[in-house]
Amino acid sequence: MIKKITRFSRPHCYVSIVLLFVLILGLGCDNQYHDDRLKMQVQQLDSDLKNRWSTSGVVVLNTTPNGPAHKAQLETGELISYVIAEYPVRSAGDFKSAMKKALDEDNNFLLYLKDKPPLRIALRRQGDKVGLSVEGNGTVRVKQIQHGTPAANTDIQVGDIVEKIVDERKIYSIDDYKKILGKLSEKQVTFRTSELIGVKIAAVTALGDLGDIRAIEPLVDLFKSSPEFSLRKASISSLQRLVELSVLNELFQQFQSANVDQLPTDSLQPQQLESAAILGLLTVDRIENTATLKAPFGTQFRHRSERLYQKINEGQLAELAQEYIQISVEPEQEIRRACLSILGILKPVSAIDVLIAVLENPAEIPGIRFQAGLALSQIGQPAVDALIAAFEKGNASTKDIAASALGGIGGAKARDRLINALEGNSEPAIQLTLVDAIAKIGDAPSIQALERQRQQYQQDDDSGIRIFLDEVFKSLDNGSM
Amino acid sequence: MKKIWLVLTLVLFVVGCGTQNENLAKGKELIKSDKRRKEERAVREFKLALQQPTDNAEAHYLLGFYNSQEFYEPDTTDWQEASIAARGEQMFLAYQAEQGKYLERLVFETLRDDDLDVQNAALDALKQIYNKGDRKRLLNQLQKALKSKDNRDRHNAHWVLGHLGKDDPGTVVPILVKLLDHGRMETRLNVVKALGEAGSEEAIPALAALIESGSAKWKRDREEPEVRQLAVEALGKIGGAAVPELVKIVQNKGSSLRVDAIRALAILGDEKVVEPLLDALKEQSSREVVIPLN
Repeated sequence: MIKKITRFSRPHCYVSIVLLFVLILGLGCDNQYHDDRLKMQVQQLDSDLKNRWSTSGVVVLNTTPNGPAHKAQLETGELISYVIAEYPVRSAGDFKSAMKKALDEDNNFLLYLKDKPPLRIALRRQGDKVGLSVEGNGTVRVKQIQHGTPAANTDIQVGDIVEKIVDERKIYSIDDYKKILGKLSEKQVTFRTSELIGVKIAAVTALGDLGDIRAIEPLVDLFKSSPEFSLRKASISSLQRLVELSVLNELFQQFQSANVDQLPTDSLQPQQLESAAILGLLTVDRIENTATLKAPFGTQFRHRSERLYQKINEGQLAELAQEYIQISVEPEQEIRRACLSILGILKPVSAIDVLIAVLENPAEIPGIRFQAGLALSQIGQPAVDALIAAFEKGNASTKDIAASALGGIGGAKARDRLINALEGNSEPAIQLTLVDAIAKIGDAPSIQALERQRQQYQQDDDSGIRIFLDEVFKSLDNGSM
Repeated sequence: MKKIWLVLTLVLFVVGCGTQNENLAKGKELIKSDKRRKEERAVREFKLALQQPTDNAEAHYLLGFYNSQEFYEPDTTDWQEASIAARGEQMFLAYQAEQGKYLERLVFETLRDDDLDVQNAALDALKQIYNKGDRKRLLNQLQKALKSKDNRDRHNAHWVLGHLGKDDPGTVVPILVKLLDHGRMETRLNVVKALGEAGSEEAIPALAALIESGSAKWKRDREEPEVRQLAVEALGKIGGAAVPELVKIVQNKGSSLRVDAIRALAILGDEKVVEPLLDALKEQSSREVVIPLN
């Protein structure tokens, strides 16, 4: 009895499997199409890609080895947005038929005349006249241009040599693709592909956030070679982020060597702790005295930080940044700024001369020159001599930035030079900067020097320097209290 | 026999009317007034009301609703009794006394309160109902709220279902998955959010199918972009087994959600995603490709 039933139901089973298969095949093929002529499979784009990223077209899923598409090195994943058809014009008949094909549906085409830039001819309505007639065989020339037609509104002259007609068709769907490709029976097909910059930018940003060393070389390559400013900007920002992460290595190593995700706040270096908290890698609870790595990234990064630190400190990035802070190399100021930030974090002594050059460059934006000074003050003592030299020979604006940077570094040498400049009254234009820089150093000789200045200007009620000195002393008093 | 019951009911009714809970009435009066520290004083009344034999349900509920640790010195008994969990317990006691009334009130009223503590106490109470009370009825009410026209109800229901789903994915996730077919787009949005918050890997196939529907041929088969975008976010919240699914989206060159998937992966911080991201960088830039034909 049981046997009978199974025997009976088996064909049913097959039928349903076949049916299911056909159904799946049918459904699956809806958004894909195999082009037998080009030997490749294309896929319909997501419906909302057009709305969200203003992108349309079909995506190449795969190409058959040694097929036409494969031989032409069309790659999997490329987005075909336009099909371009070229119609060479060798006779009046060629011209007529090419024009007819090219005007079909979209009512416009590109006309290539010898020694002239391509002209776009667009009709207002289907069936309107282009207004152009040609003659000749082999070499085709413009014979007549009709008044009041699109041809008359462009730069075409009688006698111009017509080379070819080019038709660009935008592709929105698989159906478009089939239709357009079906009409073309040329010797060749030309596709224009689009790049999805948004995806690359997101990937670049994510790679910066992940803190993985494998990202460094590709980001550097992209930064150097991409023609897209937005991508280069994103790449350098991600590299900057990796540099910022790498300098937190010492902090993360404390977690790693203890093999924990939480440590007492007072066992950690306050400055690094603060930067890590700002970057969102950990949370600090002062009352409970705990610093806790944030999952998932903070907890994962402690395993990666050492390698990242070593890789960043090989010097490649410092070199890159030194090259791209120069306005002669990098025209985009946002990128020069990012590179200056990188140098400020890495503090390479080798960058001092280039930074001084940026600081002194009158063609550079004041804000960037000032940022170069800031990077030099972050480098610290090794930069003092170079800054003093720049101060000696520079014009007022250079002196201003250099003095401010020297104040940021401090130390006896920087201090004495600043006091000397202030008391020698040799630089009246930057008097306020000098006072400010000396106050920033704030040791006993600095205060004494400022005190002497105050006495000197005591009677001078209206002078800016006096008011400023009063302010400085007020804040010094508050600070010491 | 019937007569005796009738008389007994009548007597009980009369007695009930006569001994109305005075403290409860006083507390409610205080809440309505504009007196200083009215809530603190009302809470005192509600506590007293609980010592009386009548109207306990409402007193429990109001105590849970209005009590606050701000009224007391830290670490005292009163302070401990005003914790979110204790307030939730009070709301649950109200439910136990009058199930239908307080279930509806908790879902459609208490959750709407602006005070986060009140919302959390209500969540606690609902969790207790889920574990100890009429689970079926609770889930029905939450589904009703999820299908509601009112945005607040939908939002609150998704929040509660997300939490319940975290504790008991086996029961809650299939219910939510079924609701992914609901006709109202806003309901589906909230269902997707709840699935993300539940964080259960069981939801991955349903979410993946929904995301993929974007390239379906017919418009009627495609999920709305907003919902699909949130589904990617939900996969990011689920993490774990959802990572390969997100990587698949990044690798699907025709997907509009690649950027969203990349962002979700970046938040997860998983090392496995570095390679697919590097692949995305290698994609060709815009160009013209000429294909000769024979």
